[in-house]
Amino acid sequence: MYESKASKAGNADIGGGSAIVARGLGKAYTLYDKPIQRLYDLMFPWKQRGREFWAVRDVYLDIARGATVGIIGENGAGKSSLLKVLTGITHPTVGEVHVNGRIASLLELGAGFHPEFSGRENIRLNCSILGMSDEEIQARFEDIVAFSELGDFIDRPVKTYSSGMHVRLGFSVATSVDPDILVIDEALAVGDEHFRGKCTNRLNEFQERGKTILFVSHDMGAVKSMCQHVILMHEGRVLEQGTAEQVADEYLKRAHARGNERLSAINRTVDAYPRWGSGEVRTGEVELFGANGRKTNVFDPGEPFLARVHYTVHADCFEPVFGLGLYRSDGTYINGSNHFWRQAPVKLGAVKAGETGYVEMAFESLPLLQGQYYLTAFLYDHGKPAPTPIDHREHVVTFEVLDADRMQHGILFLPTRWSVHRRGTDGTVRSFDSAE
Amino acid sequence: MLQLLRSLSKNRRLIQDFVARDLRARYVGSSMGFFWSVLFPIINLFVYMFVFRVVLNTRWSDHQGATTVALIMLAGIVVWSAFAEAMSRTTNCLVENSNLIQKVVFPSEVLPVYIVASSLLNMLIAMPVVLAAVAYHIWIDPETDPAQLGRMLAAGDPGLRLGVTLVALPLLVILQGLFTAGLGMFFATLNLFWRDTYHLMGVATTVWMFATPIFYPAHMVEREGFGWVLDLNPMHWLIACYRAIIINNTWPDPALLARFALATVVTLVAGTTFFFRQKRRFPDLL
Repeated sequence: MYESKASKAGNADIGGGSAIVARGLGKAYTLYDKPIQRLYDLMFPWKQRGREFWAVRDVYLDIARGATVGIIGENGAGKSSLLKVLTGITHPTVGEVHVNGRIASLLELGAGFHPEFSGRENIRLNCSILGMSDEEIQARFEDIVAFSELGDFIDRPVKTYSSGMHVRLGFSVATSVDPDILVIDEALAVGDEHFRGKCTNRLNEFQERGKTILFVSHDMGAVKSMCQHVILMHEGRVLEQGTAEQVADEYLKRAHARGNERLSAINRTVDAYPRWGSGEVRTGEVELFGANGRKTNVFDPGEPFLARVHYTVHADCFEPVFGLGLYRSDGTYINGSNHFWRQAPVKLGAVKAGETGYVEMAFESLPLLQGQYYLTAFLYDHGKPAPTPIDHREHVVTFEVLDADRMQHGILFLPTRWSVHRRGTDGTVRSFDSAE
Repeated sequence: MLQLLRSLSKNRRLIQDFVARDLRARYVGSSMGFFWSVLFPIINLFVYMFVFRVVLNTRWSDHQGATTVALIMLAGIVVWSAFAEAMSRTTNCLVENSNLIQKVVFPSEVLPVYIVASSLLNMLIAMPVVLAAVAYHIWIDPETDPAQLGRMLAAGDPGLRLGVTLVALPLLVILQGLFTAGLGMFFATLNLFWRDTYHLMGVATTVWMFATPIFYPAHMVEREGFGWVLDLNPMHWLIACYRAIIINNTWPDPALLARFALATVVTLVAGTTFFFRQKRRFPDLL
């Protein structure tokens, strides 16, 4: 849960006002094809059999005391490895780290807990590791228990806890031991809204008391709102560090590119989804376009959005109607529409075999918030008394919305309007408006 | 070794907590509680008595009666169980607690130490029962069969005795703890490099148990020309010392004791050196 690293004599002048200084930091892991090779390496060290993998390299950091620093980067960028080296859990292969003050860390779920021990015993265990005295533990114990809101579960083995309970206990312990530096690795994403609120309050308290906070997150909104300084990691190196705005934008740019890559891979496998209908007309590729007509699968909220459905007519038919259904990745049906059921419908009438073309559906401003979504293409025959499927294709294209600002939460961006009316003691009313 | 001592004094609270927790875990959930510490060796004794005495009809020696033999076996079983249990658990302790080692700056030497301490405490819970059984057969239900007494006299066997030599018992317990801890730390570290160590340990302790005169007398092995096995087996030396005190109230053979002390120093130095040399790499090896 937390680690103490007494500032070694002579380090204080290196840091000055720094909480953490890292110089030329690198961490290499040795990977083996066969586990037994590790034993051979131990016994016959003159010949090395494994391959080196550098999880972190060439990291230079100087984290000022009292700063809140965010570390961002895609999965496998070396964020967690870096935190482990900074907190002293693993030792750097090259370079050096200097830490001034007591570090408490919350790395991953249930980290530092003994699964067989009860919550109570784990609190003691963790406090003992830090070298706290019985009195210190006693003094903080009730605080920790109260903050975790575990109730009777505090006396049950930690292995029976839900992931949310793990985080609650972990966060309570890590923040109650009064560390100088707090390190948090993505763990907070698990808690419920209520507990996350409490955590945010506590983190703000920490900031106000001049403590140093280091945290890893994928939530750009949280990073932007909490951190003055952001470090972007990529393939073990620090790609960029600077103000939150600047680095987060770079990250989002990369996230777009990466998202497109990943989504086009997903979209190549769309044939796996159900498709049915009589087949006189067949829809082909569904293309998505963002701002400036750029073909993409990753959008910002409020960006123009256009879906283009190509089609080919194989046999004559009357009054085919194209539609699109919009779903969130979990299957929530958000919207469905077509070009026929409208105030001013587009009627195709008779279509002849051999005809090709495309149908477009557009938003001037995409009203979706952050998440992954997909489209389902409908093609129904409205020439019959009841519409019958010609070509119904589930899940034809997947796209993602990345929201850097996160001013609203949920699925949809809604044009809310807020106003505050303050009635002073003298009876005068002052109104403040915030139109969106 | 110095590192170990320094760490132990710094982390003694942590070790206490772990040991207390471990003993409680052993007994709290079970309805029989502490009786298991006592019952387990006795059940073991009956099983081995049945196999060796009834089925295989092995004879310990002519001059020793059945109860005496049972008590000799019991003393061996109690000591051996503590050792074997500690060996099996320490070998896997680093892997089992990877959650602590990988996610927290954890003084990993606490793990083998607390396991050894816990197993010794468990042994000390069973030990009074062995002593009580010996005392019972000395003072309350002594050997009265004149033929048997005659055989003992002829062989120069003083019979069951308890007395002042019990003061040497703590020394044996401490030596046993250090010996077990040294071996345990060595194999716990080796297990990180080669996970098969743990599985091999299970087989090795069984082989070792039968290579140690626990269920048969040492002189039988010597008679068959396998005396050299006993000369290489520190656990035989240790158990012989224990038996001298518990069964016959004689001082342990200084030669055996010295050999065991030497073995303890060797395993402790080897174990702690290997352990602390590799300790920095533990989180990476898991």
